[in-house]
Amino acid sequence: MKAAELIRVRLDAGQDVFVLRRLGRAAAELAGLEPQDQVRVATALSEVGREVYGPGAAAVIALGDDELLITLNHEKRSGLAGSEGVRLAGRLVDQVELDDGHVTLAKRLRPRPRRGRIADIRMGLARLAPVSVLDELRDQNRELAATLDDVRRLNAELQETNTGVLAMYNQLSAELEETNRGVVALYAELDEKSSQLREATEARNRFWATVSHELRTPLHSVIGLVRLLTGPGGDPLTDEQAHQIELIGNSTRTLLHLVSELLDMAKAESGRLDPHPTTVSLTDVAEHLHVTMRPTRERGGVELRHHVAPEAATLHVDEGMLVTILRNLLSNALKFTESGEVRLEARADDDRGEAVITVADTGIGIPPEQLKRVFEDFYQVPGSFQVGARGTGLGLPYARRLAEALGGTLELSSTQGEGTTATLRLPHHGGPPEAERVLVADDDEVFRAAARRMLHGFAAHVDEAADGAAALEAMAAEPPDVILVDLLMPRVDGHALLHRMAEDDRLSRIPVVVVTVEPQHAPEGRAVLSKHGLRRDQLIQAIRQARGGEA
Amino acid sequence: MERVPILKLGDLLIVSIQVDLDDQTVLALKEDLAEVVVARGARGVIIDISAVEIVDSFTGRMLATIAEMCRMLDAHAVVVGMRPAVAITLVELGLSLGGVRTALNLEKGVALLDHVRGAVP
Repeated sequence: MKAAELIRVRLDAGQDVFVLRRLGRAAAELAGLEPQDQVRVATALSEVGREVYGPGAAAVIALGDDELLITLNHEKRSGLAGSEGVRLAGRLVDQVELDDGHVTLAKRLRPRPRRGRIADIRMGLARLAPVSVLDELRDQNRELAATLDDVRRLNAELQETNTGVLAMYNQLSAELEETNRGVVALYAELDEKSSQLREATEARNRFWATVSHELRTPLHSVIGLVRLLTGPGGDPLTDEQAHQIELIGNSTRTLLHLVSELLDMAKAESGRLDPHPTTVSLTDVAEHLHVTMRPTRERGGVELRHHVAPEAATLHVDEGMLVTILRNLLSNALKFTESGEVRLEARADDDRGEAVITVADTGIGIPPEQLKRVFEDFYQVPGSFQVGARGTGLGLPYARRLAEALGGTLELSSTQGEGTTATLRLPHHGGPPEAERVLVADDDEVFRAAARRMLHGFAAHVDEAADGAAALEAMAAEPPDVILVDLLMPRVDGHALLHRMAEDDRLSRIPVVVVTVEPQHAPEGRAVLSKHGLRRDQLIQAIRQARGGEA
Repeated sequence: MERVPILKLGDLLIVSIQVDLDDQTVLALKEDLAEVVVARGARGVIIDISAVEIVDSFTGRMLATIAEMCRMLDAHAVVVGMRPAVAITLVELGLSLGGVRTALNLEKGVALLDHVRGAVP
């Protein structure tokens, strides 16, 4: 009896046993076995297969005349005779034969099996072929090859996209570079323009200073000569001559006054106004002004009054500057007042810590549209009635500059036809300054000016530095009592400045107050203030705390 | 290797095996089920094997192991829907699955679990 082989499978791994089981069941079905027998064959194969699988093992399903034969070839050295799998399989199939390296299971077919032809059975089983491990590998290989192709195509596409992106990037960066060059050129041009402007301003100031200085010398000579001519020891003059020489003297004095104003303005422009505060009695100043200003008034009908409140009677301020401001204001008031009074009043504004000095007149007033322009250099209200009818138009601008140098403000308010009130506000607090020298390191000029104003009276000197490097130089030259540091500065910024200070033995003890627009980025352990809405009392308090912490 | 889905219904877990079980699948099922029983605090597990055609000694013993494991985790396991051919084969193999509760179908399995839990609170 020769059995026809239906299919052959390898039994390398446990998974192959599962495949054999399915093939065995299918073969049993195709061979015409009952469903129950199909399950028995499959289960028996499962049991035996589990015992024999391993490298080199294989199974052959074959169909004999009246039985289904499944032979499992294995390489197990030990015999399978007593194994459970073989024992259990024996209960499910009709015969189990064991010989060297082989196990053969036989299941008898029904006497008149309704089964297909061998070829059909083979084909049916082959259709389950993907289960064969080799085929599976082949399939997997084919899939892998397809995937590889896909990957290659994708790679090519990516490469193409990449080239595109690179080209775009190159183009963009070229364009950016060009724009950048333009910006740099523009910046250089601006820089040049601003340095030209600065030079022009400097030249103008130098011109003013030199010219007014050179002019004053001959004027003093002329005045001296006039005094000699009209003096008691001189040769007698006719009345006519005396009158003419008197006129020369008057004009020369006027000219000297104008030249002095020009010189003052030039000084103020070049920022060389350095106040030297002392304790000043405002009452005395007002008395003095009252006496000296009255004779300049030749007409009657205008009263000059003053009133100084006791709490504003003592100021800590540069006396010369204060007197100059008040003299300017009073002379203006008298100049433009025909009748009524000119009134100087002083009081203390405790809320803002300021002394408020007002000079009010009952003169012609200033039209509203001119109010701002009177602070411009050389500006004079056109067509106005001027009693003295002389001046350079520098008086008010100079007064305002002095007021700012003192840390104060000067404002005008006026009603046309009723009078003008000038209000001078100066920092006011009793006693000498608490700090000798404060350094403000900030690139923001506006803030430096504001800080200078706030610190006036608190500190005897306020130094400014536009960046960290300048601050280091300033500190090396004159160690300050405290330094205000901005974080965002060109060149050496605030963080770097603080770092350098900490490294330097001489500078590490200087108290620091950080004043910045971004307090949240300030370094730990420092007094920090926000620039926004900074008030004088906050700043002073922070400085006091910073200094107290060091003491 | 396929994974057998584990469905939650109230405090029951329903494991419906729709594939022919190979060794790895049944081992994975055992581990997955243990985790889910603990994670969900299930009190009953129904294992539906109505689609399973072949249960050999290994799979049979694994079903018994799973049932035992569930008991240790405070859950009752019921195997439902066993095909007649499978039952016959198991008996012929000498495996009676003594420790495993069985029911004819899902509905009876649920009723059995309700009954068991009613009796043993």
